[in-house]
Amino acid sequence: MRNNKGLFNNLDWILILIYFLLVSIGLLTIYSVAYNEENASLFSFSEKYGKQFFFVLIALFCGFILFLIDADIYKKFAVPIYFSVIFMLLIVLFMPPINGARSWIGIGPFGVQPAEFAKIASALLLAKYLSSIDLKHQDSKKLFFALSILFLPMGLILLQPDAGTFLVFTSFLFVFYREGVSFDPFFLFFINNLLRLNYKRTWIGVHFIPIAFIFIVLALLALLSNSYSFNLFSYKINGFYLLILSLFLFCTCFGFIFYRFGNKRERKNSIIAVSIAFVLAGLVVSTVHLCFNKLASHQKNRIELFLGIKSDPDGQDYNRNRAMAAVGSGGFYGKGYKNASVSSVKTNHVPESETDFIFCPFAEEWGFLGSAFLLFLFLALIIRIIIIAERQRSSFNRIYAYCVAMILFYHLTINIGMNIGFAPIIGIPLPFFSYGGSSILSFTIMLFLLLKLDSQRMNALS
Amino acid sequence: MNLNNRKYIILFFIVFIGVLYFFRLIHMQLIDVSWKLRAQEISEKRKVIIPARGVIFDRNKNKIVSNITYYNLMFVEKNIVDLDTSSFAKLVNMSVEDVKKRFLEIKKKQGTYYNKNTKKRTSNYLKSRAYPFLIEITASEMATIAPYLNQFKGFYKESTSMRLYPYNNAANILGYIAEVSPQNIKNDPFYKAGYNIGKTGIERYYEKELRGEKGVHYLIKSAQNNAVEPYENGIFDTLATQGASISLGLDIKLQQYSEKLMQNKKGCVVAIEPSSGEILSLVSSPTFDPNLLVGKKNISKNYPALVKNKNKPLYPRPLAAEYPPGSIFKLVQSLIGLQEKVVTPNSSFPCTKSMVGCHNHPKAKSISEAIKYSCNPYYYYLMRKVIHQKENKNLFMDAAIGLEKWVKYMHRFNLGKKIETDIPGLRSGLIPDVRFYNKWYGKNKWKFSTIRSIAIGQGEVKLTPIQMANIAAIIANRGWYYTPHFIKKIENKKIDEKYTTKNQTGINKEYFEPIISGMHKVIYEAGGTARLARIKDISICGKTGTVQNPHGKDHSVFIAFAPKDNPKIAVAVFVENAGFGGTWAAPIASLVIEKYIKGKIEITKKETRVLEANLLINTKNEK
Repeated sequence: MRNNKGLFNNLDWILILIYFLLVSIGLLTIYSVAYNEENASLFSFSEKYGKQFFFVLIALFCGFILFLIDADIYKKFAVPIYFSVIFMLLIVLFMPPINGARSWIGIGPFGVQPAEFAKIASALLLAKYLSSIDLKHQDSKKLFFALSILFLPMGLILLQPDAGTFLVFTSFLFVFYREGVSFDPFFLFFINNLLRLNYKRTWIGVHFIPIAFIFIVLALLALLSNSYSFNLFSYKINGFYLLILSLFLFCTCFGFIFYRFGNKRERKNSIIAVSIAFVLAGLVVSTVHLCFNKLASHQKNRIELFLGIKSDPDGQDYNRNRAMAAVGSGGFYGKGYKNASVSSVKTNHVPESETDFIFCPFAEEWGFLGSAFLLFLFLALIIRIIIIAERQRSSFNRIYAYCVAMILFYHLTINIGMNIGFAPIIGIPLPFFSYGGSSILSFTIMLFLLLKLDSQRMNALS
Repeated sequence: MNLNNRKYIILFFIVFIGVLYFFRLIHMQLIDVSWKLRAQEISEKRKVIIPARGVIFDRNKNKIVSNITYYNLMFVEKNIVDLDTSSFAKLVNMSVEDVKKRFLEIKKKQGTYYNKNTKKRTSNYLKSRAYPFLIEITASEMATIAPYLNQFKGFYKESTSMRLYPYNNAANILGYIAEVSPQNIKNDPFYKAGYNIGKTGIERYYEKELRGEKGVHYLIKSAQNNAVEPYENGIFDTLATQGASISLGLDIKLQQYSEKLMQNKKGCVVAIEPSSGEILSLVSSPTFDPNLLVGKKNISKNYPALVKNKNKPLYPRPLAAEYPPGSIFKLVQSLIGLQEKVVTPNSSFPCTKSMVGCHNHPKAKSISEAIKYSCNPYYYYLMRKVIHQKENKNLFMDAAIGLEKWVKYMHRFNLGKKIETDIPGLRSGLIPDVRFYNKWYGKNKWKFSTIRSIAIGQGEVKLTPIQMANIAAIIANRGWYYTPHFIKKIENKKIDEKYTTKNQTGINKEYFEPIISGMHKVIYEAGGTARLARIKDISICGKTGTVQNPHGKDHSVFIAFAPKDNPKIAVAVFVENAGFGGTWAAPIASLVIEKYIKGKIEITKKETRVLEANLLINTKNEK
């Protein structure tokens, strides 16, 4: 252990502390959820907590190995790593399906989910590619190539099918935004060629991701307003018209403010911008409204269930209803460790309460104190990773760090969101917390890789 | 293009989600209680423990009603895995077809409900709920099934407590228990669908004492609706307490014997201990085995037959059947006459057969001889003196005044009004009063000669057998009585005060002696009407009655008490369509008395004659 000092030099101990906190709380929660009196030891291998303990040990061992390897190797070998994972994603499609999805490759008694590792491989290749191109002179080929790095695994994952991981891959688009990758090449292609114009850049292309976010919010509003109606002087008015009306009033107010307080040159432009914004928003809302009404009734039903417009607590809404009851019943202090009456494996009201719904038993046992603490812990982890990302000298490191941050952000948003009724029921694990070997292993590798890269950040220029 | 600012936009998204979720957690866990209620609804189960009913003893501490464990074979469809129908059918001794039919039947029985929102009709049957596949399996039957039950997942046994009557007697007294009606549930929150309640008899009257107190266990249930563990280690649980055991004044051995004597006869036996008012025996014949009405299975099989039976075994004759009392009524008339001082013990009236029919007998020289001979004209004269005491010059108004006095006496003997006692189904009988006759004949349009038949216990007068027995008890006590009742002792509770309060008739004690001596003569003197009632070593006092019956053969009635001094038992026997009172009712009463006092029958000739008699063939179907 001569180079022990060197090994653990420059490591970000805050990140490691948060990591160990999350893993141990997760392990204890699995122990409580799946507790079996016959095999009460945390290390009894026949129980899930025993297995998870074993998985954590393997993950830590792998993490330790990563510390021994020089970080440069990842940039060099990003392409072979990426394609070996793609190869595994191909093989997995020929495996026998488990629960209707072909997502496992069996090795002895254990299975591996290649999709979990595809996230790391894609992040590495994306970091390598984006750091190599000159973003000031990008063209549609480069953008298309960058997107292809994501689309290839995404397509294969969709074939399994695994909607959750598919969705998580879209988190990389935030990284595109951070790195200044503009979607202009696509937009300009349409605008310049079809409309015979000659724009150099568009605002939509540059800020595509935040605009997409606003688009999603508008779409949700359109869906919500669609099912809302009220009576006005014996006329039944659909909420859709109310939404259009409020958008119009909103834009008119903005337009008026710009006109009244802006300078002469801004007046004309602002009025045009506000008008365009209104027309676009109206278009979005109408399109969603139109599409929604064209949907088959069972699809409509699903969306309405998700939005909480309809409820079916013992039917289609079962999982969500049980999960929310478990979280809500925790109260301020919670029911106490091992006292989860709704979400323990024994009572089995909340399905998958040791994997995708692990937030339930935790929130039930530790109440608001615990769940708020866990939320802050995850936010602290993500924000810490962004801080780490921003201090990197090489763009490879920064991009990779941002990828890790956004993946964790997505997992957190969707996983906790579905426990509190804010996200659809999509089966993705809570990082470092949920039961599952592939999950703990891939997230540990992902994080330790970042730690290693960060520890060598000073070498980047040399 | 300054890309550095974009990290703030990304951070904004992250913090936005964090704050949003934080407030959502505040709302869900701290403000909105509906999720807590929902969690309780999902995960908690209130299991009510129904206690065993109280046990009933007779006066000699014989257990006459107890409990026995039966089993229900329950199933939860959700938990059934690959049911091997043929071997299961073999186990429960049914055909495969019947097993399939039974499952369908259970589903059908749950009914359906109409969902207004989806406009669909769905069954109330739930796959996750337990239903009984077979009910009321005996312990021995269960013993053959239980060892193989674990081969059939989803099936399990559940024990229930049911009534057991070690003696096949006293069905009319004890009553039976059955599932509660919707009305019961509405009236008393104690009951839920499926509970049992006392439907008749003692079971009904002492329901509140016998049912005990429910216990509640709070459990954490699983999604499969199985109880997983006690909630909070059971600190909120309450124990069920078995119903109080009660003792009755009933002598089950005597009851058994009286029922046997009344076999193949229609009628009643009522025996009372005069010194306490406790009912020793109360027979309604024909009767039935109380075990016929134990449990749903038995009730649905046997109840319809009992209802349809033309001899009406379910009808509580001693309590509800209102018969004209016949000549036994003369005892009460004599006492009223003496108390009103319209006659003396030595009054004599001629046996004027032109007034009313009478049998041939020497002239009654005293009131005790009038009783001995049961002279009808004597009581016409006596009753006329009671009714017409010349208090008003108008004959009609005078009759009304006299009748009013007479009715008052009757009520003091608890005649014409219900005996308020601890069994349901009692009726009041009928003592016609002034209002009754005014309505019948018109005001001031009736006098003694109009209503004279009541003098000898015919006409409008009607008594229930328990009232007749009470008359015997009153005479035995020389003027007072305790309300006849069943209860002797209730565990941890005092019995109602009204059963330990003496009721006075207001007749002077000395007036009873000539009556009692008359009753003695009835049995022991030549010319008495009930020589068949004689018992060796016991001096018995009684009075026969023969009730004219326009629908068929006369009814035979006899009331008696014994021994003459310090009486132990007062009896009334009423045998429908049996003819003269001395022929059947008197010997039956004497056997009941002998059995009670001696514990055995010494001369069995009389017993054999009674046991062998079939008087049911005389009866016609009642309307």
